[in-house]
Amino acid sequence: MTSQTTLLNTRFLTAGYGPVTVLHGIDIEVNEGEIVVVLGANGAGKTTLMRAISGTIPRTGNIEFEGRSIKKDSTDAIVRAGIVQVPQGRGTFPELSVADNLLAGAYVRRDGAKAVADDIAKWYSVFPRLQERSTQRAGSLSGGEQQMLAIARALMSRPKLLLCDEPSMGLAPLITRELFNVIGQLNKEEGLSVLLVEQNANLAMHIASRVYLLETGVIVASGSAAELSADDSIRKAYLGF
Amino acid sequence: MELFLQRLVDGLSEGSVYALIALGIVIIYRGTGHLNFAQGEMALFSTFVVYQFGEWGIPIGIAVIMGMAVGFTLGAVTEVAIVRPISKKSPFAVFIVTIGLFQLLNWVDGAIWGGQQLPNTGVGSKQVRFPSLFPNNPTDFVTIFGANIKIQSLGVIALVGVLTVALFAIFNHTRLGLAMRAVAANGESAKLVGIRTGRVLMASWGLAAAIGALGGVVFAGISTNVNLGLMFTVFIYASAAATLGGFDSPGGAVVGGLSIGLIQNMAAGYAPKWVGQEMKVGVAFLVILGVLLFRPSGLFGTSRVERV
Amino acid sequence: MKPLFTIKAGGPTSWAVRVVCAAALVYVLLWIPTSGSNSLIDTATTALTLMGAALSLNLLLGFTGQISLGHSAFFGIGAYTTAVCVTRWGWSPLKTLPIAFAVAFVVGALVSLPALRIKGVYLALVTLTLGVVFPQFIKWPKIEWLTGGSRGLTDTGFKFDKNNRTFELFGWNPWGNLRGENVKPFYFWIAVVIVLIIYLICRGLVKSRVGRSLVAIRDNSTAAAVMGVNLALTKGLVFGLSAAMCALPGSLTAMKGTVTPDTALLTVIGSITFLIVMVVGGAGTLWGPIIGAIVYQFITEKTGDWVEPDKIPSLLRPFFSWSKTPPAAGIFGLSLVVLMFVAPLGLAGFWKQVVGRVVAVVPKPAGSTTLEPTAPSDGIPTWQPEEPLAEQ
Ligand SMILES: Nc1ncnc2c1ncn2[C@@H]1O[C@H](COP(=O)(O)OP(=O)(O)OP(=O)(O)O)[C@@H](O)[C@H]1O
Ligand SMILES: [Mg+2]
Repeated sequence: MTSQTTLLNTRFLTAGYGPVTVLHGIDIEVNEGEIVVVLGANGAGKTTLMRAISGTIPRTGNIEFEGRSIKKDSTDAIVRAGIVQVPQGRGTFPELSVADNLLAGAYVRRDGAKAVADDIAKWYSVFPRLQERSTQRAGSLSGGEQQMLAIARALMSRPKLLLCDEPSMGLAPLITRELFNVIGQLNKEEGLSVLLVEQNANLAMHIASRVYLLETGVIVASGSAAELSADDSIRKAYLGF
Repeated sequence: MELFLQRLVDGLSEGSVYALIALGIVIIYRGTGHLNFAQGEMALFSTFVVYQFGEWGIPIGIAVIMGMAVGFTLGAVTEVAIVRPISKKSPFAVFIVTIGLFQLLNWVDGAIWGGQQLPNTGVGSKQVRFPSLFPNNPTDFVTIFGANIKIQSLGVIALVGVLTVALFAIFNHTRLGLAMRAVAANGESAKLVGIRTGRVLMASWGLAAAIGALGGVVFAGISTNVNLGLMFTVFIYASAAATLGGFDSPGGAVVGGLSIGLIQNMAAGYAPKWVGQEMKVGVAFLVILGVLLFRPSGLFGTSRVERV
Repeated sequence: MKPLFTIKAGGPTSWAVRVVCAAALVYVLLWIPTSGSNSLIDTATTALTLMGAALSLNLLLGFTGQISLGHSAFFGIGAYTTAVCVTRWGWSPLKTLPIAFAVAFVVGALVSLPALRIKGVYLALVTLTLGVVFPQFIKWPKIEWLTGGSRGLTDTGFKFDKNNRTFELFGWNPWGNLRGENVKPFYFWIAVVIVLIIYLICRGLVKSRVGRSLVAIRDNSTAAAVMGVNLALTKGLVFGLSAAMCALPGSLTAMKGTVTPDTALLTVIGSITFLIVMVVGGAGTLWGPIIGAIVYQFITEKTGDWVEPDKIPSLLRPFFSWSKTPPAAGIFGLSLVVLMFVAPLGLAGFWKQVVGRVVAVVPKPAGSTTLEPTAPSDGIPTWQPEEPLAEQ
């Protein structure tokens, strides 16, 4: 594992809301080409971790991306640097059409309308349902379709690291599996690195290179998927068998 | 028929000014969720600035563009320096601040250019001869179907029409427009796709104030009397227009503004005598009340606006 | 920082402070009408008028979190009810007060009907238009027979003549001379009584259990619904009460003799003035409007003639001499903006902070339930959030 280059790494990352500190010094690493999964119960601080990385909440400690500290960067600079977050509960632009949502995803790109249009076409081919509904308002899509749109929108910026916050939330198992397949494929074929937050541990473990366990703002365990599912207590608590 | 045509043109030209101010209200509301009570007064300030530029001998066309630039700056600075820090506290504080700005700007106009300290009094206000964008002599009219239509009015309608088309082109086909729509739809997500929401909001307030400046100048041109209360009434009608069209719908603002202008002028002509001129402003009241009671999201607004 | 003194609520020191304050208040109230200065009495009466209106507005804000820019209309309803009753039916002006109260209550409750469906900014908009429409409505030719149109009504107040009794205590007459020679103190006392009534209503509501549950409703309408409170009815009643109280100082202006629809306080200017008084003094605090009215009237009068540079105190001249209008409007406009940054609870809140640095009031020991340490209305009202905004 040491042979891989580190893409993202946080050192003693703390963050919270106003007077409340939620994350108490998080150290995590994502290497290039990895899918790293963060597991944790409700309220453990998973979403907060995502927000801290993408800079939408104030944070202390250090965050390095591609060897450069992004601690002081604003969200838009972080997106430009190549980290993009798919927010929990999708967070599409409901009043905008599907096509405009994708266009907004490419907001930070400067490589011309042609390249953007090509990418839109590419994601339409990955998610054909989006193409069928390209002129429809995003707010009128089904939950699953919105989740696809949210992921496609995030990928429109051609990120190096995708932060995915509970993509399975509220989706039928079949759709969830489909989504995870797509993410796994992107990872394999395009070398996209992913930091994925999940409650649905079983599914996530399948595609995970490594796993972190987050409990009330602290990383309590980490390791490969195999290592963690070998641990009895962890298996009982997070995998439910 | 002649009368009808005249009223139609008058209604449309007044209505197009309401539409401009309403557009400003809607742009700001969509971005930040605030109703800017100082919208009309910002426009009035810029209008007086344009008048001043005119006094200094700057050609009116250039003066208007400079005035719009002043308006843009005023709006942008207001957002960054005042509204943004305050909105972290409470919507109530923002409301009070816009009322404060309303009062302050109106006073500044009076203090610099003379006149009453608050709108709506009209007494003793300084009469200003406004430089007009369009030929505005008693002989400047065209005759259509026997109706004498002022070139001024037609010019206003045309100018506002062009500006509106340009604005919608900005909304729908530019990066800034996409960013504005994205921020309006979901501010948090807008950040996550890399939009600098702060700058977009700043630009929105600036844009709203700049088109307000144009609205002010144009309205001063078609008004017989320019006083400190000029834009207050326009603001009332524009709010009615925004309510009618839906507070988060730019297209609704335009339709609303034109409708209110038309309703007003047609009512003045065709309503039974007993209604009278005094109750003209009642139109605005009834429209706002009626819409809020029966269709709170307006004609074209999304139901997001509706909150019970 | 530790306060220098501590005082027990209900203890002897606290009572001493209260007695001294009350004595000072009574002294000022007696001194003003007997000072012999007509302009002082006028100023005080105007300040009291604003006080009454701002207190009413504050009740609405404090209890429902709703903002009204239409209270000038209720003020005007009070004025016109009195004026019409006196001129058309020859009523005695004081007897018109309850009528004005009732009429404004009904109108207020009716206007609040849409308020049950709409919130925050929309209500401000509806009431703003109400404030704009009211003077126009008064001028409406159809009802000119009643309201006198734009010329207004005259002889709407008391009839003072030689036969009037006048009250005198050993040559000292705090009511003024009701034989038509010096009636200003008389208006002053009416104003005092009106403000007192309004203040007591507000205070009673704030301190009562009903009041406290109202505040709970304001802050959380879902909880209120769960508690089974009839939200709509309550809001309607509070709005009506607020409007009704605002009509009383309006009545008083009519009692002085003339009413016209263009009187500043009857137009939107009035609504904005009431709002300024309330916010400068401290929105949502019981004493805010009282302090605000005094400060407002003081500054307005002091700076009224500052259009002429030589009337401006020399220190301030460089700042104000350029202005072609008196600076009061600008000062207050700016104050609203600045106050929201530095002291959202206005002068009352600021005063509390300053005093809190020096003196700490310790609430009664636990077990006694009569006094709550913080008055529930002492907080900036939170509007129900407009939108889940982007900011966090
Ligand atoms: N905007 C906020 N303001 C204040 N506190 C918050 C906010 N968002 C989350 N919290 C608090 O931070 C803690 C962690 O929340 P977070 O959303 O990170 O949990 P999570 O692990 O994502 O949970 P879930 O699985 O339910 O999404 C919780 O205690 C929550 O109450
Ligand atoms: Mg979460």
